[in-house]
Amino acid sequence: MDPHPLFAALADPTRLEVLTRLAREGPATATEISSTMPISRQAVTKHLAALDAAGLVERHQSGREVRYTFDPGPLDDVVRWAEGVGDAWDRRLRRLQQSLDQS
Amino acid sequence: MHEESFQESAGAAVERSVTLPADPDAVWEHLTDGTLLGEWLEGTVEISPRRGGSIALTPETGPVSWGTVEEVVPGRRIQWSWRTDDGLPTMVEVDLESVETGTLLTVRETLLPWTITGLQPQWLGNGPLEALLSAAA
Repeated sequence: MDPHPLFAALADPTRLEVLTRLAREGPATATEISSTMPISRQAVTKHLAALDAAGLVERHQSGREVRYTFDPGPLDDVVRWAEGVGDAWDRRLRRLQQSLDQS
Repeated sequence: MHEESFQESAGAAVERSVTLPADPDAVWEHLTDGTLLGEWLEGTVEISPRRGGSIALTPETGPVSWGTVEEVVPGRRIQWSWRTDDGLPTMVEVDLESVETGTLLTVRETLLPWTITGLQPQWLGNGPLEALLSAAA
């Protein structure tokens, strides 16, 4: 896995806010999002494009506008990273414990 | 369970603690002597246990991790940053605390995504990302 694009997509506080709004309140269009946030529709659209590139949102055509849905899939990569690192330390610490038990 | 995993990753850090049947000085040798460290890190270790010193782990399987020792407090704490060639940079902190039955060792490994262009240290462990992760869980 290479989560760098994911972290880059989440790096901007406003973009993170847009994504959190989608996660909390469900699918929305750029117009709907900009009406509840102090940023322009154009700015929202730009952020949504970056989130789309990172796989964090899904696009659905809705009449003349695109409706965006939060996709938590990429965040699983971070969870998996944490699990892999945790397993490695569990194994290592067991080994350290064993070698100190013997000494 | 799934939710807990999200919470654990909210700060993108992993922490483990273990009580070891030895005093901190004895455990310290296992943290700073390359041969002893390699025995439990499961590979060949080269380490210069001083601030700015190098550390490299060639594991029995998998890619080499290499980096820099960031902090050394003899008998108490060692911290290093490292990464594999194609992996993510992380910070490893190991703290020792003397307890009645021996030594409490705590290891914490944290992703260092702010080494990626445009990311700031305050991104980690702050409110907004945790809000997203809890909304996602």
